[in-house]
This record gives sequence, C-alpha cells and structure tokens, in this order.
Amino acid sequence: MYKIIEKIFSPIIRLLALCSVLILFLIIAFILKESLVIFKEVPILQFLLGRSWRPVSNTPTFSILPIILASMYVSVTAIVIALPIGIGCAMFISFFIGDVSREVLKSIINILAGIPSVVYGLIGLLVIVKYFEVRFSLVAGESVLAGGILLAIMILPYIINTCSESMIEIKKKYMATSDVLGVSKLYMISHLVLPAVSKAIIASTVLALGRAMGETMAVMMVIGNAPIMPKLLGKAQTIPSLIALEMGAAYVGSLHYHGLFAAGFVLMILLLLINIILYYIRRNISY
Amino acid sequence: MNRYVKDLLLKLWCGISGIMVLSTLSFIIIYIFMKGFSSINLDFIIGAPKGVPIGSEGGIYPAIIGSVYLMIIACVFATVLAISTAVYLELYCKNEKLLKIMHLVIHCTAGIPSIILGMFGYTFLVLRLGLGRSLMAGGITLGIMIFPFIEIRVEKILNEMDKNIVYASYALGLPKSYTFLKLLLPIYKRDIISTVLLAGGFAIGAAAPIILTAAVMYAPVPRTVLAPVMALPYHLYILIGEGISVENAYGTAFVLIVLLLTMNILPILNSLSRGGE
Repeated sequence: MYKIIEKIFSPIIRLLALCSVLILFLIIAFILKESLVIFKEVPILQFLLGRSWRPVSNTPTFSILPIILASMYVSVTAIVIALPIGIGCAMFISFFIGDVSREVLKSIINILAGIPSVVYGLIGLLVIVKYFEVRFSLVAGESVLAGGILLAIMILPYIINTCSESMIEIKKKYMATSDVLGVSKLYMISHLVLPAVSKAIIASTVLALGRAMGETMAVMMVIGNAPIMPKLLGKAQTIPSLIALEMGAAYVGSLHYHGLFAAGFVLMILLLLINIILYYIRRNISY
Repeated sequence: MNRYVKDLLLKLWCGISGIMVLSTLSFIIIYIFMKGFSSINLDFIIGAPKGVPIGSEGGIYPAIIGSVYLMIIACVFATVLAISTAVYLELYCKNEKLLKIMHLVIHCTAGIPSIILGMFGYTFLVLRLGLGRSLMAGGITLGIMIFPFIEIRVEKILNEMDKNIVYASYALGLPKSYTFLKLLLPIYKRDIISTVLLAGGFAIGAAAPIILTAAVMYAPVPRTVLAPVMALPYHLYILIGEGISVENAYGTAFVLIVLLLTMNILPILNSLSRGGE
C-alpha cells in the first residue's frame, strides 16, 4: 500500500517542484518575447538613453532614461532617509530594551511591514503630500521627496529586521565576554557590534533597494507621474507606475504595449541583479 | 571626555531612531483607525457600491468578498506548489548543485516586483490562455507572488525538524511519502497553516498584480472563477486616485487593515493554543 502511495506521491512532488522553478523562466521568457518587438523599431540605446516618452503622439518616441533615473532617485532617497533610522532603531531594540518588549516591538514592526502599499499611498497622499503643499506652498506636493519619505517608512521594517537579527546574534555571542572584561555597552556597540554587522547592513540595504525599486502603488500615488527628468521637489514617474498606469490603456500588440513590456524587462533585469547580489551577500554572512 | 561625547551621541542616535519609528508606527495605525472608524457602518460593509461615479456612495461588500476569493485561490495555488517544492528540496533532492540552483531561482522569484507579475499574468493568463480579466487569472498571479514566501518558510520548518524521526523512518525502510504525510505533516501542520495565513494577508493587500489581471471598478459578487471581481486594494486606489470619495477610501482602508490584522493575529493565537497543550 505505502509503495503505491510513494509511486504516485514522488512523481507529483518532482513535477510540482519542476513547475515552481519553471515559473521564473516562463516569466522572463514572456516579458522578453513581448519586449523584443519594440527593439526592431527603436534602437536599444535610444530606448535606454533618450529623454522623452511620448507613446501616443503622432510621432511617438519611446525612451525611458528619465523614468529609470526617477526610479533610482526615489529608491536612493528612501534608503538615505531610512538607513540611519533603521540601524539606530535596530540597536535600540537589540540592546536597550528587555526581551519581552523586544518581542512585542518586533511583532508590531512586522505588522507595519504587512500594511498594504495602497494604504501607505493613501496616507502619503493625504498626509505627506498635503503637508508639502501647505508647508512649502507648492502648487503640487507630489514629488520625488514625498515618494522617498513614504518609501523610507515602507522599507524601515526590512532594514530593522535584518540588522537586529544579526545584532542579537552577536550580542548572544560576545555579551558575556565583554561584560567580564568590564567593557561598557556603548563601547561594545561602537567597536564590536557595528563593524561585525556591516555585512548585514549591506544586505539590508540591497534588500531595501529591491523593495523600493519594485514598489508600485504607494509611489504611484504620491509622485505625480510625469515622465520628465526627476528633481527632488518635482514630479517624476517610476517604471512600475508607468506600467500600472498605461498598460490598461495600451492597445494590445501596439508599439506602446511592447514599449511598456520593454520597460518592465529593464526593471526585471535590474531586480534580478539586485537579488542575485543579495543572495550571495546573505550566504556569506556568518559570525 | 571625548569618549563620553561619543557615547552620548550613540545613545541619542538609538533613542531618537527608536522614538521616530515608534511614533510613525502609532501615527499610521491611529490615523487609519480614527479616520476609518467614523466612516464605516453596517450598510457600508454589507451594501454594494452606488452613486455616480460608482463608489461615491454605498458599500464595499462585493470588494470584500472578491478579495477573500482572490486570496483563497492564491493560497491554494501557492501552498500546493510551495509544499511540494519544499518537500522535494528537503527529502528528495540529493544533488547539492541542483539544490543551490533551485534556492537561487526561488530567491529570484521572490524578488520579482509585483507589477511585473501583473504584466506576466496579463500577457500569459489573460491574453494567451484566454482567461480574461478574472478571478482565476488574478488568483494565480497572486499565488505566484506569495509562493516563494511560503516555500522559504516551509522549507525552514522542515529543515529545523527533528532529524531523529526522519532517520528512524528511513531505517525502518519506510518510503519518503509516508515519512512526510504520516510523521512530519501532523507535527508541523500548525506552523504551515500559520505561514499560509500570513501569506494570505500579504496577498489580500496587494493591488499591483491584480490591476491588470482581475480587478474592475464595479462587478457583482462573482459566480464563476472566470468572472471579473472587485477587490479592496484596487477599490481603495480608484476611490482615492480618481478623487471619488475620501470618506469611503478611509472606510475601505480600515476594513482592509482589520482583515489583515485578523490574518496576522490568527497565527499568534494558533501558536499560543499549542503552548497551552
């Protein structure tokens, strides 16, 4: 009887495992196939380095340099804001509070990570953007900076989790030794912990960069969606928001449709690279 | 003296960051609850959207049900794939190289942004397979999104299992299917269910994958898996993005957050009740 079950079970497991691996290749193949069409009409360098995206004008131009730059600009702004706060908060919850409050705080931070991006978008639009309009008397508060601040809040949990995990690991290993040696806690943090977790900090930065680059809804709602060269207080458009906004309206099979796929392909390659780097950094983390 | 200044700065850094994160966190939660609670009532939850433009009055019942359906399809699809893959990698796969490659592939799948999954769902499921904008297409797209999340955690659960059980069962000459189905699954059932619930919460809030594959501005509660649906995150986006009704947007966000919190708290209760056994 068990032999029969095994005879059915084993091939099914193998088949499904194969399917799950094939999904990635299927995704890459389909996005690539749909985006190749546009490169027959528009040279790849012009697509990547040109400056205007006007897919529906009489003489359509397809160039996504401003959009790629905006994606990076928003993500880097977010990381610049979130990284110091994230590392500080990770130290705070690893060294300055008790075990019970740490667990409570961590689960609350995890809930923060689980809040859907549309809800963040709602808050961003009604709080951050509005504040910008009132405080700096801008005509429109939608800007790269607003997107950056909102994204910073969204990536904080990833940074805090990755860093505090490593910090607690190190604390367990060296706390007793450094206590015996009479080293102060702060000296231990600045001379032992921070250097030792540098790899984890890099990993968390790369992870956060990946999250930020791929984020769609929240950024789309606060960034203004104008495909122009990004300025800190000006409107811009990121690749995900471009796709989300224009895909539904693009006629299937038109150059516009294929152009959007090509933009998606560029984003996907960027993120695959980021993730492969992340995978190798994480594998090398050991204490 | 210099050292004391340094220490003080470090302390300040930690303290200020901690306070900033905590205050942002509480602000977000209080903001949504305060604004949302005042704009919901029973009619809002059990009524269909009304008014011109649609959604400016009335409720969100079809969107709640639509979101739950999408989540169920996504969870079933992702769980079957994820558990099979995890069992294969933990029990069957003996080839170190293959193991490494599969881990990298799953890791990369996890890193694909949700909008790209939406695009893939649109071209492959909606257009190529002819599913149309439907519950099925959206559910599978969401399933692909949460599959790596479940797989990585289930594999971790299996990796940390009691190896004695496995070795004992191998020594008795039991097939691996028996080891998994009769010995491991009953022990780790709860952990796996918790993981799936968390992933479900993740799926229910995602808007980007369903914009192109499933969600529409207005649809009744779907009767078949090939019908288009309303979904809470998309409805929220439309309400706020098109400037239809801020009041209803707060209400929708509130309902979405409450659904999510329930999904987050269930696993905690689950593990607490096991602690009591």
